[in-house]
Amino acid sequence: MPRAFLSAVLVTVAALTAAAQPSFEGAAPAAAPIEDASQRRDDYFRRVDEVIDWAAAGGNAKTDDPANLNLAMIAARIVRGQDLPGCSQRVIGMMREPGTGPFWMFPSVCIAYLGRDRLSPEALASIRTAWRTTRQLRGDTENHFVMYYISLFLMAELYPDEPAETWYSGKSSAENLAEARSYILNWIDVTATVGQGEFNTTHYIGEYVIPIQFLANWSKDPAMRQRGRMMLDWLFAELAATTLNGVMRGPNSRTDEGSVIERWNAMASYFSWLLFGNTPPTAGYSGWGLYFAPLAKNYEVPEVIYRIATDRSGDFVQRDRARTRPFWRYSDETSPPVHKTNYLRKDYALGSTRGGRIDPLQSHVWDVTWAEADPRGKHNTLFSLHPHSASEIMQASFVFYPEPMIKGVTFEGKPSYDSPDKVLGSSPYEQVFQDLDTVISLYDIPAGTRFPHINGFFSKDLVDFTEDSSGWIFARGGNAYLAYRPLAPYHWIPYLHYTSGWAKARLDLGGRILTSPHLKNGTIVQAASASEFESFVAFQAAIKALTLSFKLEPAPTVSMTTLRGKKVAFSYGQTPQVDGRAIDYSKWKLFQGPYLNAEIGGRKLSITHGQLERVLDFNTLTVTDRVRETTPVP
Amino acid sequence: MPSLRFALLLVGLLASAAFAAPAPAYDFFLCANLNRNYTIGSKVVANNGVYQRDASGTWQHVGYNDGTITSVAFDPRDRNVMYTSALNGLWRTLDGGHHWRICNDWSMTEARDVALDRNAPDHVYLALPDGIGVSTDRGQTLVRREDGLPARGKYTQVLHIDRTRAGRVFAGCETGIYLTENGAQRWRRVLPTTDTVYDIQQSPHDPRLWLAATHSAGLQRSTDGGNTWEKVASAPSTNPLYNVTFDVTQPQRLAVGSWSLGVLTSEDGGRTWTDRNAGLPAPHHVWRVGIDPAGRLYASVAGQTLFVSADFGRTWQPDTIAAAQVNKFLLVPRNAP
Repeated sequence: MPRAFLSAVLVTVAALTAAAQPSFEGAAPAAAPIEDASQRRDDYFRRVDEVIDWAAAGGNAKTDDPANLNLAMIAARIVRGQDLPGCSQRVIGMMREPGTGPFWMFPSVCIAYLGRDRLSPEALASIRTAWRTTRQLRGDTENHFVMYYISLFLMAELYPDEPAETWYSGKSSAENLAEARSYILNWIDVTATVGQGEFNTTHYIGEYVIPIQFLANWSKDPAMRQRGRMMLDWLFAELAATTLNGVMRGPNSRTDEGSVIERWNAMASYFSWLLFGNTPPTAGYSGWGLYFAPLAKNYEVPEVIYRIATDRSGDFVQRDRARTRPFWRYSDETSPPVHKTNYLRKDYALGSTRGGRIDPLQSHVWDVTWAEADPRGKHNTLFSLHPHSASEIMQASFVFYPEPMIKGVTFEGKPSYDSPDKVLGSSPYEQVFQDLDTVISLYDIPAGTRFPHINGFFSKDLVDFTEDSSGWIFARGGNAYLAYRPLAPYHWIPYLHYTSGWAKARLDLGGRILTSPHLKNGTIVQAASASEFESFVAFQAAIKALTLSFKLEPAPTVSMTTLRGKKVAFSYGQTPQVDGRAIDYSKWKLFQGPYLNAEIGGRKLSITHGQLERVLDFNTLTVTDRVRETTPVP
Repeated sequence: MPSLRFALLLVGLLASAAFAAPAPAYDFFLCANLNRNYTIGSKVVANNGVYQRDASGTWQHVGYNDGTITSVAFDPRDRNVMYTSALNGLWRTLDGGHHWRICNDWSMTEARDVALDRNAPDHVYLALPDGIGVSTDRGQTLVRREDGLPARGKYTQVLHIDRTRAGRVFAGCETGIYLTENGAQRWRRVLPTTDTVYDIQQSPHDPRLWLAATHSAGLQRSTDGGNTWEKVASAPSTNPLYNVTFDVTQPQRLAVGSWSLGVLTSEDGGRTWTDRNAGLPAPHHVWRVGIDPAGRLYASVAGQTLFVSADFGRTWQPDTIAAAQVNKFLLVPRNAP
């Protein structure tokens, strides 16, 4: 079906059923890029309108009664100019019970700015009053701080020259503005020099880009607006380079039980859909995603980023750096570096960190994820992990007492943390090495460790599953051939799915967990495209023909020749080697690859695709676009 | 009539005796989160924060609603000047809670404790996950004073100021107890530990006697004003001890709160300890214990509420406040030092 026709149909459907989510409910979009710039823009605007229409019609409230609308829906109605008196009344009502913390602050900022010349003075005053009377919690994570301080910055700009007693913080507008500005500048500087602590998040991307978009549009300070625009490019460039047909895969600093398995089902997919149009949006546009829509038409993703997101015709490797969540205690460093490897191909992608402690609760260390034409409901991923669960490790990152932590976090959006069959989280006893589409994951778990086993996730969506007598397990996911080699004996248990981090129950949707109760352990995964082999049998034969030796004592050790002909050697506790040369992680840059490049400490990101280049330079606050005469040879 | 006259006289005497009775030397406060399972972004459904127990036994809310308040301190010159440590850092009011100010900027977060030097009451100390903040101007400005603390290992859970000397402060950190004797200009370690020190208390009866509750080093005692410490051999060290408290009414009575061990008490100055969990809801995970000015023992039981005992743990009754978690019990002297 021609894309233009499809778009027209979807627009019509959207118009007829304003409360529907046509892109969520309809067919999956094609992943291929759209060449025509005006068509891209039209499609983007149509998607934005779809979100606003849905929210203005009541969204999940399934009613147009203003009394049932949340702030996101009111924002959409303000954009549409729909029932503004009703919106004003609803805002006044909601401000009688304002929230506390960054998740309330940025929505209220959104209404305060959108409603400046639309809502009644009483409604605007009610927001301002709430910012005086209700103590706002700043939170304890990077995304909390970004939401909090950008919100505070914008409110202080909106209400300048007001005295300390008119703000919940007890600080004047000028003091609030200065503190918020200082934090925002520091966060950008840290991100542009050593990377984010919350990198490649499946959901929290929204909690960065939404307030940053507010900053880019509403700040009175042109320098802050420029920083906002540049950070949107920065974060969306990362999204583009780490997604497979719009779907975020591992590694992730923070994700949750649902999206680590159903990889598409994450707010990152909403942004891929909105900006790149290459995957369906999530249900309800991920809720928070609604707050991006009112200003979305003011931001159009640069073509170079769009191309990176939608071009999977060639294989590429990105080797990047980030950092861990801050460790307050029980660590020699506050925020050690994280080294990420991503290898993306048309049919699948592998990504990894080096393992160890990252975020004790929600990090995802490595996986191979395969492309699905329609990723909805698909568990299109394969990986293993040590299901580490220990209050001692959590104490490093959190200020709580030790014993209540494990149970406590299960009530705070991390329900699996106390479960031996969990498939989420990092472990200090896991070390990972990746070269192209080979991943070696080694485990050396001290005796007495809680959950002394490793779990391998095997999806319901794998086909041609074979436990070979050679010790390899073969399967096919989409157009990817997969080989998984457990290094110690194992058995199978059912996989029970959490639909999200807030799921109350686990669902038996199929799939299994390979569980291996051996302290010294390991996994080798090798992937290839089906198109590279005459048959699945031929792939299996190639894998079985690989030179491979391994041992588990005294330390897990693997030596092998990969499917790509590389001789790799990796021993737990040692630096991995490729073709006899040790990997020198100290030389890794902030970004290094065909698409994204930045030096550690450089404050400058070069984004390239083909002849296109955009350079974001925070040293000079400049954005430089360049079109090269010819495509450089990598 | 004589009997009536006698009765009136008796009533008068009793009334005058009541008026003439010395006022309690302390007020009793707690810092509590009443909002169960709160996470950032969820709705606040209870009035959290600082409560004072009044003469009728009722807990009166003081200040603002914040479930993250970990501690409170008052200026002995003016009870209207009040400081709280909380998720946002250090909050201060100068007018009895009508107006509050966050004293720190973004570089200080998740404050664990606040302490005010009663001998230098403009000086306020703030325990932070990455060190210690100090104000010498009633919280108007805060700076880090960490000379002598290790670059790593300075996670600070608790601060306690020697009531006998200005500028003499103990800090319970990840790597031990640190002492400054010059207002945090310089710290030195007086007790090394491998895990966090959770509580430090000075005896109200003998200022040379100090106790500290630790994660893995059991209960520690100092009898020389905190210069040297020794493990209390009779107290268990198999599990983390969250806090320790003295009884202002009886020098020999001590109590310890522990998640795994519940409530432990001693009535002989720490020579022997008794499990006082009978009557508390199992599995008697205890956040904290406290003793009020009348010698009543309190236990904050996780997932339950606050319990009180009039017989030092032999029997327990639910208290009137439905606190999900008490972060601090605090006795505040009514009179300036």
